[in-house]
Amino acid sequence: MKYFAGIDIGSTSIKITLADEAKNIIGFKTSASGSMFYKYAQETLDTLLGELNLDKKDLAYIVATGYGRKLYKEADENISEITANAIGAIAAAKEYGEIKTIINIGGQDSKAISLDNEGNVVNFAMNDRCAAGTGKFLDVVALKLEIGVDELGTRHFQATGTPLSVSSTCAVFAESEIIGLLGNNHSVEDIVCGVHYSIAKRIVKLVKRVGVKEGIYFDGGPAMNEGLVNAIENELGCKIFIPKHPQITTSYGAAIMGVDSYKYEQNQ
Amino acid sequence: MSTNIHHKIESPKDRQNRHKAMEAIKLINTIKEDFKFPIKSMEYFYDLFERVYCKNEPLHGDKVKVGTMCIQIPSEIIYALDGVPIRLCNGFYTDDEIGSDLLPQKACPLVKATVGHFASGNFSDKPDIVFSPTTCDQKTKAGAIIEKFGHEVIDVDFPRTKESEASREFFRKSIREFTSKLSKFQGKKLSRKNLKDSISKIGYAQSLYHKLTTYRQSDIVPILGIDVFLITNAFFFDKIDNWIDAMEALLEELEVRSKEKIHVAGKISPRIVYTGSPPIFPNYKIPQIIEQSDAIIVADETCSSNRMFNDMVAVDEWLVNDMLDSISDKYLKACTCPIFTKNDDRIRRIIHLAKQYKADGVIYQAFAGCTVYEMEQRSVLEAMEKAGIPILYIESDYSPSQHGQLSTRVEAFIESLKTRRRNKK
Repeated sequence: MKYFAGIDIGSTSIKITLADEAKNIIGFKTSASGSMFYKYAQETLDTLLGELNLDKKDLAYIVATGYGRKLYKEADENISEITANAIGAIAAAKEYGEIKTIINIGGQDSKAISLDNEGNVVNFAMNDRCAAGTGKFLDVVALKLEIGVDELGTRHFQATGTPLSVSSTCAVFAESEIIGLLGNNHSVEDIVCGVHYSIAKRIVKLVKRVGVKEGIYFDGGPAMNEGLVNAIENELGCKIFIPKHPQITTSYGAAIMGVDSYKYEQNQ
Repeated sequence: MSTNIHHKIESPKDRQNRHKAMEAIKLINTIKEDFKFPIKSMEYFYDLFERVYCKNEPLHGDKVKVGTMCIQIPSEIIYALDGVPIRLCNGFYTDDEIGSDLLPQKACPLVKATVGHFASGNFSDKPDIVFSPTTCDQKTKAGAIIEKFGHEVIDVDFPRTKESEASREFFRKSIREFTSKLSKFQGKKLSRKNLKDSISKIGYAQSLYHKLTTYRQSDIVPILGIDVFLITNAFFFDKIDNWIDAMEALLEELEVRSKEKIHVAGKISPRIVYTGSPPIFPNYKIPQIIEQSDAIIVADETCSSNRMFNDMVAVDEWLVNDMLDSISDKYLKACTCPIFTKNDDRIRRIIHLAKQYKADGVIYQAFAGCTVYEMEQRSVLEAMEKAGIPILYIESDYSPSQHGQLSTRVEAFIESLKTRRRNKK
């Protein structure tokens, strides 16, 4: 049995997914990127293989993607996270319907990807120069509000007043805005809700740049935050699909690419 | 496509309401929380704006609501015919964005926001009929666009010159025409008593505003300019009797505050006269920056505030037609809008305000796309220079993201005024 690894080295976390020849997910693992991408990626892969009772020899093909993809020297192939994300999203949402637009929020960037009917990337927009509206931004917010990142979703739905927007587009300035709001005794829930809407508005602007097409898929770590999902759905005015494991879509796409590339090579 | 998370999705109308509520609450909270010496009776106004813009509370029930596109439609006549005037000039960025799809890129944000508001059809107090005076080009043209959204829009001819007897006669005719159209719409006849009463009531409201201004003329100013904009903007849509009650309570409190020598600004905070395109809730971007930069707005020359209250109707004979003529004179002759060919009155008024309110400088804001205010800045700047009054000209729009660049310019200007003050002493 041959296995295929997709390794997504992001700015904040490393995601590794293993697929079999039929492109099914066999297992996955995530860990923090820390300061040594290569070392941590190696360790994460070893742990995952250990958990599945597999050996490195069982890996027929490794595809690296993400911000740190070039640092992973053992990879048979490197692909951009845009391509990997599109492939992974289409496979992950197969039983739900066609995907036309992908929203991805990562640790330090956010993307909107538009696909054609064949699933090819036709257009994409990225906010990659600033941490506004990214996972990092949510980390900062949670830290200031002294709650866990995983609590943000629940708190969103407990808001009772008008959501309090944060107008600073910069994570650093937004932090002082939040301190100001807290200082004036506004509820944590209304602030959380406002932050989610501020992020949602920004991401929807990005989506509008590539064109809003029904069949919207949202992935990346922040897609696990139901409050943010709710805010984006409200700003878009339509339902969006969240995969079971939103964090690993891109690494799954890389693993699928591995299957295809391997088969192509075999047939040459 | 099906989905796996079940949330109810907002309707476009709810989404727009939420956007506007978020804009509104942000400003209301800032006004409430930034201020060291909150005025108790201002709570009425904060609450009013929150009720209308965050909770979409209708204020006027079954009353016929008469939408006015500009300051030049006399409220006296609307009240006398048992209607409620609702001024439709809009300050929301949310609506501006909607209007941007319907109007040229370079159009004025106020007009875009007004049209955007109609496009969304999202009103807590929906106007039953709209009167659109032919004042500036963009508002004149906006009337026809609004009509397409299923509203009855009636033009009210307004002259572009005000010096000649011909224009005076022209507008008097126009006002009579407007009166008969509204009278027909209401199925009510304009009575002498009703018109006299509404002139008196609005006159009384104006007198309260004038009393408020006396506190701003003194060295110890008990109220911020941004609060005054909120009060005057409330007159756009509030029940007039409630507004009058709230004003009376406020004036009592200001009396106490001035006796206690509560000054809302710093020791050497420059005093500012504000002029140009009108600040309309919640677009108080520039007034906010001014007062957050340690200056205080003591007076303004704008159509969303001072111009509504400054001049009263002066009646010779209390007969219906005489009253109508007096009303039309007040709305034409006293108007200092830059749509007029010659507008020396405005310059005279700004200089007068600066002297009367002991202002250190003037801040002139024009919306990008508000051509008449943009064009008139040159003559105003020259006149101020001649009169030795420092002036800063700023161009802005409704977008919330300009704050940084604007505040640097405003702060530098205010610092220069402080330096002048120090050097004078």
